Amino acid sequence: MELSLTEAQVAFRDEVVAFLSDSLPEDIKDTQKQGGHLSKEQMQRWHKILGDKGWSTPLWPEEHGGTGWSPVEYAIFDEECYRLGAPRVLPFSVSMLGPVLINFGNDKQRERFLPGIRSGEDWWAQGFSEPGSGSDLASLKTTAVRDGDHYIINGQKTWTTLGQHGDWIFCLVRTDADAAKPQTGISFILVDMKTPGVEVRPIITLDGSHEVNEVWFTDVKVPAENLVGQENMGWTYAKFLLQNERIGIAGVGQSKEQLVGLKRLAAAEKKNGQPLIEDPSFKAKLSEVEIELRALDLTNKRMLVETERGMDPGPVSSMLKIRGSEVAQRLYELKMEASGLYALPFQPEAGDAGWNDELVGSLAQAKSAPHYLNTRKISIYGGSNEIQRGIISKMMLGF
Amino acid sequence: MNFDYSEEQKMLVQSLERTLAKSYDFETYRAQIADKTSHDPALWASLAELGIMAMPLPESAGGFDGDHTDIALISAELGRRLVPEPYVSNVVIAAYILGELGGDAYTEDLSAIGMGEKRFAAGFYEPGERHNPLALNTKAEQSGDGWTLNGHKAVVLGADTAGSFIVSADAGGASLFVVPADADGVTVRKYQLLDGRGAADIVLNNVTVPANALLGEAGGAEDIILEAVDRGAAALVADSVGAIEEVIELTKDYLRTRTQFGRPIGSFQVLAHRMVDLLVEYEQAKSMSMEASVEATNESGDARKKAVSAAKAKVGAVSRKFGQESIQLHGGIGMTDEYALGSYVKRLLVNETLFGDTDYHLERYGQL
Repeated sequence: MELSLTEAQVAFRDEVVAFLSDSLPEDIKDTQKQGGHLSKEQMQRWHKILGDKGWSTPLWPEEHGGTGWSPVEYAIFDEECYRLGAPRVLPFSVSMLGPVLINFGNDKQRERFLPGIRSGEDWWAQGFSEPGSGSDLASLKTTAVRDGDHYIINGQKTWTTLGQHGDWIFCLVRTDADAAKPQTGISFILVDMKTPGVEVRPIITLDGSHEVNEVWFTDVKVPAENLVGQENMGWTYAKFLLQNERIGIAGVGQSKEQLVGLKRLAAAEKKNGQPLIEDPSFKAKLSEVEIELRALDLTNKRMLVETERGMDPGPVSSMLKIRGSEVAQRLYELKMEASGLYALPFQPEAGDAGWNDELVGSLAQAKSAPHYLNTRKISIYGGSNEIQRGIISKMMLGF
Repeated sequence: MNFDYSEEQKMLVQSLERTLAKSYDFETYRAQIADKTSHDPALWASLAELGIMAMPLPESAGGFDGDHTDIALISAELGRRLVPEPYVSNVVIAAYILGELGGDAYTEDLSAIGMGEKRFAAGFYEPGERHNPLALNTKAEQSGDGWTLNGHKAVVLGADTAGSFIVSADAGGASLFVVPADADGVTVRKYQLLDGRGAADIVLNNVTVPANALLGEAGGAEDIILEAVDRGAAALVADSVGAIEEVIELTKDYLRTRTQFGRPIGSFQVLAHRMVDLLVEYEQAKSMSMEASVEATNESGDARKKAVSAAKAKVGAVSRKFGQESIQLHGGIGMTDEYALGSYVKRLLVNETLFGDTDYHLERYGQL
């Protein structure tokens, strides 16, 4: 048994570090490290830099622009990005839509859409959840009715992350209302968000940020050629897509970076004249979460190595999602606790590019409560932790 | 032993409930937060008319000599409705200090507080001192007949709308001074807290005040500061219990009405049991809040501290759990600003952190 990185993996890490150090623009690094909200321009600029390097879609098959990295190498890349303040590319186009088009789309669709995904020029949003269909996604009601060469779409999607910037949205829509099972009447379709009848309305979350949106469809006319794969097979593609979230689902890179930030904050904060980080009761909490993260990191890598050898990871990705979200949430919670009274002034835009109000407390303190509140979402989205437990129980216990 | 409120208390709560039901719903709250103001003069006046400002004040200042169970009842209603008005900072803490130490010189101010005409805010905490109310990096030096103050008070609740401050400073030990908000050398950095209540950081730079600005004796304010903070803490504990009751209503309703997989989500045992755990926690929290409201005025400092710390620690931990679990039980809708739950979660967080967080009170409890 050898738990440290191989020589080749160390060399790979050095290559990643060298690239990030040379190529990451200072302003993007600052916003990311400060925990601010990146602007659309910042996200696209960084996506393009990665795309030019050939690193924006590392997990794709090499003939479509993948890097051929192993899962462990990808995990190294992920961690170094967080450590050095490089934003991670949004998953919607790269990790979700891309693999679906590669596996189930046609050549015309691949030619048309994959370049814009690699470069980040096309901003893709995800249209899955609906107000009445959250955990029970298959009950979705948005309809697409065939009308000659087009589909006519009516309905409403919700929780559309950064849909306010969207050029395109990939949607699950109901194409057969009479199907025997709700899952079998669903199709996967691509919608240009400039089409008449598409309306995006903001949802402000309790941390004061505008990340998610409602997207309304009123008689939206979509060319039939935008259907991906076969009509009424959308559920199969959606399940495939959600499986692709597996690598990186534990959020180890992000949590390691948060742990560093937490320690920095606790070292700066004083309790009875001593750094808070030396306070025995705080130290115990810190050690507890650090050990949990250490275990998560190793469990994650163990799974990645096994996947590399072709083993079916089974329900482990659900386990990683559950524990990964719990560890991340605990880290944000401790950051808020460590911030003391200065967690309380509400400064949701602090640290954003262009924000220049007078700060109350330190920036880390100012961000602590909004981040704590915002990250309550991570045990809800992408299949809530209750849904994940259901998956594990079905797979491992048979009920 | 009985856990009952008197008829007068029940009537007070009913009239407060009615006033708030009429004039302060969630949409009013949201509009007020959007305006970035923690204080609505019309609402404040109608609350004063009910007598809740005068409630704890001495009769000599036109008050009703109410006890802390009155304060707890009032605070619970304010928490239940998310009212951001500076009630606790002004009426529970500042007025208490003025009543104890102000003497005749401040009777008029006290009466004005009772009538809702003046607002004070008391600042004890300082940057870099976390939850220690006896931090005294702020210095007071005698100059001529008066005093010169220098220092920085952190996150002073209600200081955004107060006309005068009471600040602690080191004048050969902990001392309390009244400082007009507009005095030369006073910088007030105002802001809203997570839940919309107002606060400010107060920086004092060579601020001179007259001799009668000193409340009580120089160096003799340690006990009164701790008592004032404990009263504030007990009030916020009650505020949290009121907020938690509303969180329970919202979450129960959601579990009953939201359907997924063809049935109400509350019928999934895993969710029902988690809701039940919250109900158990609520009863524990409520008991501790009741005890704190009785003991907050106990003349034995140790009995008071023990009960208040127990309540603040227990209700703090319960509040955190309620915040996290109620959002999770709701799912995405619980994350949104336009649904009331998030505002309660934030109110609970603020209450949990002010006047000693859970760790501070656990530690103090252990030392008593």
